[in-house]
Amino acid sequence: MEALYAIPFTVLEIPNIKIKKPSWLQPPSAMTTFSLVLFSYFLVTGGIIYDVIVEPPSVGSTTDEHGHSRPVAFMPNRVNGQYIMEGLASSFLFSLGGLGFIILDRTHNPTTPKLNRILLISVAFLCILVSFFTTWIFMRMKLPGYLQN
Amino acid sequence: MPTTAETKHSNGRNKGIFNNTTGFSTLITVTVLSLAWLAGFASRLFAVIRFESIIHEFDPWFNYRSTAYMVQHGFYNFLNWFDERAWYPLGRIVGGTVYPGLMITSGTIHWILHTLNIPIHIRDICVFLAPIFSGLTAIATYLLTSELWSRGAGLFAACFIAIVPGYSSRSVAGSYDNEGIAIFALQFTYYLWLKSIKSGSIFWSICTALSYFYMVSAWGGYVFIINLIPLHVFVLLIMGRFSQRLFVSYTVFYIIGLLLSMQIPFVGFQPIRTSEHMAASGVFALLMAVGALKYLHSLNPKGQWKQLLILGGLVAAGTVFLAVVLLTYMGVIAPWSGRFYSLWDTGYAKIHIPIIASVSEHQPTTWSSFFFDLHVLVCTFPVGLWYCIKNINDERVFVALYALSAVYFAGVMVRLMLTLTPVVCVLAGIAFSILLDLVLKEDEMQTAPVETEDSKNLYDKAGKLKKRTPEPVPAADSGLGMNVRSGTLIAFMILLMLFSVHCTWATSNAYSSPSIVLASYGNDGSRKILDDFREAYGWLSQNTAEDARIMSWWDYGYQIAGMGNRTTLVDNNTWNNSHIALVGKAMASNESAAYDIMTMLDVDYVLVIFGGAIGYSGDDINKFIWMVRIAEGEHPKEIHEADYFTERGEYRVDSEASKTMLNCLMYKLSYYRYDSGGSPAGYDRTRGALPGHRGFQLTYLEEAYTTEHWLVRIYRVKKPDEFNRPRLPLAKRTIPTSNNLSKKPAYDLGPMTSKRRKGLLKNKPTLVKGKKMTKLE
Repeated sequence: MEALYAIPFTVLEIPNIKIKKPSWLQPPSAMTTFSLVLFSYFLVTGGIIYDVIVEPPSVGSTTDEHGHSRPVAFMPNRVNGQYIMEGLASSFLFSLGGLGFIILDRTHNPTTPKLNRILLISVAFLCILVSFFTTWIFMRMKLPGYLQN
Repeated sequence: MPTTAETKHSNGRNKGIFNNTTGFSTLITVTVLSLAWLAGFASRLFAVIRFESIIHEFDPWFNYRSTAYMVQHGFYNFLNWFDERAWYPLGRIVGGTVYPGLMITSGTIHWILHTLNIPIHIRDICVFLAPIFSGLTAIATYLLTSELWSRGAGLFAACFIAIVPGYSSRSVAGSYDNEGIAIFALQFTYYLWLKSIKSGSIFWSICTALSYFYMVSAWGGYVFIINLIPLHVFVLLIMGRFSQRLFVSYTVFYIIGLLLSMQIPFVGFQPIRTSEHMAASGVFALLMAVGALKYLHSLNPKGQWKQLLILGGLVAAGTVFLAVVLLTYMGVIAPWSGRFYSLWDTGYAKIHIPIIASVSEHQPTTWSSFFFDLHVLVCTFPVGLWYCIKNINDERVFVALYALSAVYFAGVMVRLMLTLTPVVCVLAGIAFSILLDLVLKEDEMQTAPVETEDSKNLYDKAGKLKKRTPEPVPAADSGLGMNVRSGTLIAFMILLMLFSVHCTWATSNAYSSPSIVLASYGNDGSRKILDDFREAYGWLSQNTAEDARIMSWWDYGYQIAGMGNRTTLVDNNTWNNSHIALVGKAMASNESAAYDIMTMLDVDYVLVIFGGAIGYSGDDINKFIWMVRIAEGEHPKEIHEADYFTERGEYRVDSEASKTMLNCLMYKLSYYRYDSGGSPAGYDRTRGALPGHRGFQLTYLEEAYTTEHWLVRIYRVKKPDEFNRPRLPLAKRTIPTSNNLSKKPAYDLGPMTSKRRKGLLKNKPTLVKGKKMTKLE
């Protein structure tokens, strides 16, 4: 059997090479993965697929009583319709809120000095609250009767 | 919803204080879960309280009708049920084209209750099935999350899913649909899968397969499971996490699950014949190959096995992939069906399958739907994902994949928000649990470190610097003090409270409308019920012949069959595109062309929904453009979408509308004799326009019934011997009124075959015709 295997090598010379895995090919770190995920989450919650399929204008416009055309940022009274910019703005706020929560978690890292920690906490809370209440206002602009009655 | 807020508070504590007391934590778990069940059940009852215990919308009516049939005639008769009342003249084999899990579930409940001598009507079981199952979903989510992270996180997730609008939108009382029980099956299958992959035991794998079987019997969304689990296995293989447990659990699950899923008549041989299922079998083959290589490795642990393993794995994957492609090419495996294909190629449905694109729940999702259905969870979802990716293990790979795929699918179709919601609840539960854990845990250590901190500060001398470096950990930790922590806690509580307020509001205002009964509110807050749909269907069931055939757009097919008990041409089971296109063509043609189609299809009555009088936007004129599109797809020579728009490409009904639009059947049936809607009379409040073509007469149809608010309009299709009068000159019309005349138009119409004569004879003894005859004489 061994002799059988050896037959080709009487003619051929085994080349002295070593196949190495390319150095850039390594499993991505948790942070990279997460940033990619967060970015795609940002796009999807912003309704990018809606924008591609329906192709709405980036900002809408309306005519007021004097006949002037005014830009409208939010498509009012419709939950299943949007302009491109409003989607991106709100999904930015969603991601901001998410980052706020993550920053809040980082404050428990024991090596952080006290001042940094307070700063981090205030930044985190600022993120969360800003995102939350701005989204709330956006929702009120979209659905005027939101959370009433 | 005070209960949920309270429960959230209690479960945050159970980890810290009652850590050692199993009894306490079990008690809290049970209490929280039952409260979540109760809250979830209660928040889904708005529709019942406001209106009545009634089945909602469209599909539930079919489910209810077949459940009632099954309860009445038994399971085997149900499986063999040929429904000649639908899709006239084709009929529908209901047993073979339905996921029977829903009917069996409620039928079983009905049977058990009746065995216990509790005489409850099957309709009430159908109405309350989804709210009851929401509690079971909460429990399944709790199990899944505690498998992934901790029991505290599980309780959070259970509370979230009990009330989150994304799920309650499909499970309010009365929406008796497959999704209501399928989400429970989905979560439970995933829980069992994680359990089996953790333990590697055949028992849990078989449980997974059984739960998968229930899911297959309940909902077409089972395809999600049979693709996600193989994806999980595949990713684990790539990450080099192959293990004996993985091998055992997947192979057992795949084989048993495959065999079981093929027992459902509607699924049949699809699991081995269609592309949607090929990922599962490909991964199965790949796992086998990797397992074989690993086995060889164990025989001879020396040598360059690592490279061989990677190479062998790659070769095996390539072979499997090529084999699937080749088989698809040869036609052994059916390619992706349009519904699934449109998930990948998002523009596909819009161009090629208008019938899929026309359904409102197949539209892509906007940001406001995400926020509306998930509220604060939309922010905490990435946080939970972050923790899972940071502390990765086999199960968390699964939840990460679940999250990513579900987010993508939810972006493509509004309807798939439903599959996203459970995983969002799971991850948000994890995030909230960790954050609250950190906030509350330090609370206990509070007393001790505060003093040490003080003493530390006192002794803070230059010489002690080195010793101090590791120490300030607890000191700095508590340095933030109670205030910040309690502030954080209060902020979280407020967030959660606002979340539950939002959930209740959304469920109550957006998702609790039966859409059969409409409600309108006056300026003084008084409520007016518009019951036009049931009025019309009741009229149909009382005043038309038993075998009368009703033509309407497919949306209303199930309701006509369920409430009116009459034969329909098309319904919400949109399996035959050309039949629907024919109906669409009839609606889009002018009256005489439509009459040809209607006689061909033996139509007796035409039913249209017209919302112009009350400003109801979901009426047929607004859906009309989809009828045109679908008809154009099948009959591109006769119907052109562009004909129905104005020259500037607008869709309007007033005097600027195109001629084709103003003369099509749908337009005429909607605006015939219409003089309501405020000033000027005949104003269309939905479109905000005065119809362009008014005061016309109908030749081939006559108005049979119009409901109180003009919402439903029913027309009778005249028999060929009835509509000759407008054709005759005035002088002739008055002279002879004999039977000879009524037979004349049969020849007038041109090629009247004996076939049509037959239909005429068959319909002779109808009531309406008798009336007409007496009038003539």
